[in-house]
Amino acid sequence: MIMLSVNWPHVWMVTLLGFCLVLCLLFVLIFILQLLGFLMKEKPAKQAAAPAREAVADILPKEAATAKSGDAATTAAIAMALHLFYNGIHDEEPTKVTIKKVERRYSPWNSKLYGINNLHR
Amino acid sequence: MGDIIEFFKGMGFMNIEWRQAVMLCISFFLLYLAIHKKYEPLLLLPIAFGMLLTNLPGSGMFHSELWTAFLDSSNPAYHSYGTIMREGGLLDILYIGVKAGVYPCLIFMGVGAMTDFGPLIANPKSLLLGAAAQLGIFLTFLMANSIGPLLESIGASADVIANWGFSEAQAGSIGIIGGADGPTSIFLTSKLAPELLGPIAIAAYSYMALVPVIQPPIMRALTSKQERSIKMKQLRSVSKTEKIVFPIAITTIVALILPDAAPLIGCLMLGNLAKECGVVDRLSKTMQNELMNIVVIFLGLTVGATATWTSFLNIQTILILLMGILAFSCGTAGGILLAKLMNLFLKEKINPLIGSAGVSAVPMAARVSQTVGQEEDPSNFLLMHAMGPNVAGVIGSAVAAGILLTMLG
Repeated sequence: MIMLSVNWPHVWMVTLLGFCLVLCLLFVLIFILQLLGFLMKEKPAKQAAAPAREAVADILPKEAATAKSGDAATTAAIAMALHLFYNGIHDEEPTKVTIKKVERRYSPWNSKLYGINNLHR
Repeated sequence: MGDIIEFFKGMGFMNIEWRQAVMLCISFFLLYLAIHKKYEPLLLLPIAFGMLLTNLPGSGMFHSELWTAFLDSSNPAYHSYGTIMREGGLLDILYIGVKAGVYPCLIFMGVGAMTDFGPLIANPKSLLLGAAAQLGIFLTFLMANSIGPLLESIGASADVIANWGFSEAQAGSIGIIGGADGPTSIFLTSKLAPELLGPIAIAAYSYMALVPVIQPPIMRALTSKQERSIKMKQLRSVSKTEKIVFPIAITTIVALILPDAAPLIGCLMLGNLAKECGVVDRLSKTMQNELMNIVVIFLGLTVGATATWTSFLNIQTILILLMGILAFSCGTAGGILLAKLMNLFLKEKINPLIGSAGVSAVPMAARVSQTVGQEEDPSNFLLMHAMGPNVAGVIGSAVAAGILLTMLG
């Protein structure tokens, strides 16, 4: 049997306080994540970007190298250049189709099998 | 001759009740949904098969009466796992893992090992969307509680009210369906209202599979064409150190604030730490594959086994299914509305469609955000942005479960 009476003050408390607690707890986590991002983001990004920026400056024209890293057009130009560059490298293949001849040589280890498989010859 | 008669008398065909036959048909239908329609087959298939096994007369694999005695403080078998081991069948023994809350936590470990929290770390505001999507849980809790008084007000008999109404603990278990998180639903229900485990697990997994059907109409109704076309800035890259510190920090803070959420959050974050630290690849792979698969089989089979005709074929199951869909819809709406509210204050606008992904159901809900967004603008890629609220929803629903357990347990 289920209890019929409902303790409304408790139900409302669970509903409102429960939802507010979820929001508050995740708010705290947002603050911590932002703090974490602030503490860890900057330094490694600068250190890692420096040699890469120098390497790009050697290859690309001045305008592209000095553009902001978030510039979508620059990214697209670099991607296109890499695509064209790597597509250019391709093995030259002879356009002849060949069929390799498979020859079964006799061996005492498979003589019986060889004989059975070649009955139709 | 007597032996032959005894044999025929012992056959399941001679002992089957019509309600058991109905349950067998339901299990066949669920098997069809899992195999042919591919609705969450990894869990729906074992659940449906567990339901089939438990409703076969005379199979003796699961004894619901043993578990009723297990919960009855006046019974000598109260909280006696020894009685279960001695008198129970195969599924009774496996069910101990559900009862003790072991399987959902182990599944969370595997989920953590497969989840990339990078989009969430890159955009911590996603956590708010994940929290808002838990609105469905609490609204449904309120609604489930009000069924009894509502029936009373229209003059229903005491019997009807007793059979149709829900206690506070049961209402909390029904509400958690809105979290769209199977293991969390099972974890909370096994603690608060084990008698409803079968219908709640089936409702949770069925609706998770139906996310692409349930969410898009709500998303379109609550957003304008212009809002759906908002393009979001690319997420920043996240360093490995951040990814390693994240699970440790989340576990420590959440467990210190809300100890009841520690088993779920702790296991989720342990799995994630194993994946991100890169020094325990063997453990990470085991959590993602072997452990996860074994536990999914045990969990699915045993949860399905609780769906006997006595616990399933009643009006409460229908009410649970109805309120489950409402919980899902409210959660979806909560995430979208909060995203719209945030847009009033934010300089860089967010696409409200990613708010709906806050209901967990990883990664299906995020994929739905992407699909609906691309209907307006095919060049708009929302998937990674939606993954933030999506994984935040997993944390949010585990936190909500912890709160309900603290307040109602």
